[in-house]
Amino acid sequence: MSQRILVWDVPTRVFHWLLVLSFVGAFLTAETERYRDIHVLLGYTLLGLIAFRLLWGFFGTRYAQFRSFLFKPGEIIAYLLSLAKGKPAHYVGHNPVGSVAIWLLLILGISSGVSGVMVFQDIGGDALEELHEFVSNGMLAVVLIHIAGVVVSSLMHRENLVRSMITGFKSAKPDQGIRRSYAWLGVIMLAVVVAFWAGYPSIGAATPGADATQAGQHDSD
Amino acid sequence: MFRIFHTSCLALVAVAGLAAQPAFAETPDEILAAIHKEAAGTPGFQGFSAARGESFFKTKHGYEWSCSSCHTENPAAQGKHAKTGQVVEPIAPSANAERFTNPKKVEKWFKRNCNDVLGRACTPQEKGDTLAYLFTVKK
Repeated sequence: MSQRILVWDVPTRVFHWLLVLSFVGAFLTAETERYRDIHVLLGYTLLGLIAFRLLWGFFGTRYAQFRSFLFKPGEIIAYLLSLAKGKPAHYVGHNPVGSVAIWLLLILGISSGVSGVMVFQDIGGDALEELHEFVSNGMLAVVLIHIAGVVVSSLMHRENLVRSMITGFKSAKPDQGIRRSYAWLGVIMLAVVVAFWAGYPSIGAATPGADATQAGQHDSD
Repeated sequence: MFRIFHTSCLALVAVAGLAAQPAFAETPDEILAAIHKEAAGTPGFQGFSAARGESFFKTKHGYEWSCSSCHTENPAAQGKHAKTGQVVEPIAPSANAERFTNPKKVEKWFKRNCNDVLGRACTPQEKGDTLAYLFTVKK
């Protein structure tokens, strides 16, 4: 009765792995001025990806939709209890606890990206710079918890969740699958991101104050 | 999306405003004194030298950049980020009163920039020499 069904559409998967790349890359380039341009480029990419994800949360396929992982506190507690008993309830899409990590990652991602852009544009001063570091570290913490959750959930349910996020497939009842993968949209996303990366160095506006003295106020030493 | 962006911006500004703590504001001399105290504990310490600080500031230390790559040869002048080309406000207190008034910020940027320029942290001697130099630069 259980069979291979499509759960994650292509845009959701492309979003996930590009977000991984952007976040890890931005984190690794954060402590030096040498890669400041790459850090900023990846920050903009992260914001763009999340902007897409917010839309896809309304217009995407079943499990990508926000309403599929908008759980009530009671459901989250019930899931935690079932987890503590070693018999966690199985969800085809995000489970209630996993969804908390997803919401946090979206919120922290937006906060990190927006505060980063503001720091780069010289709005907000030192306090905002500290806030940018704080929310980015918070995001790293949630990423690590998310990975731990994926490992635990994969072991407990004997299903490879990482592979599912790559192939899109899971093992479940036939009627639980999504019908369309929207591969074309995933291809467009990849193309847009690659074009942005390729074209970024020539976008003068991306580096405020680069060619003008009136921009003033910058003190990123 | 725009609403979310704006709400986030407002929230961030609000939090940033609350987080701004004028409490730890110090004078450049107090910050130099703290570094002096740290350096005095190292063997053979004989005080800071503005001349040594100037040469440290203007020369490369085995890496692509010197301090002056971004801050220019004149610390009282507006600098330019060596990577992004962004404006860097003058680093000398004579030209920029905000400089060296926040110990946490001084520590943070010494850590970042020394890593880029020397591939390691700066010693208290190097920091003190540099500040001794920067504090003598007239506008």
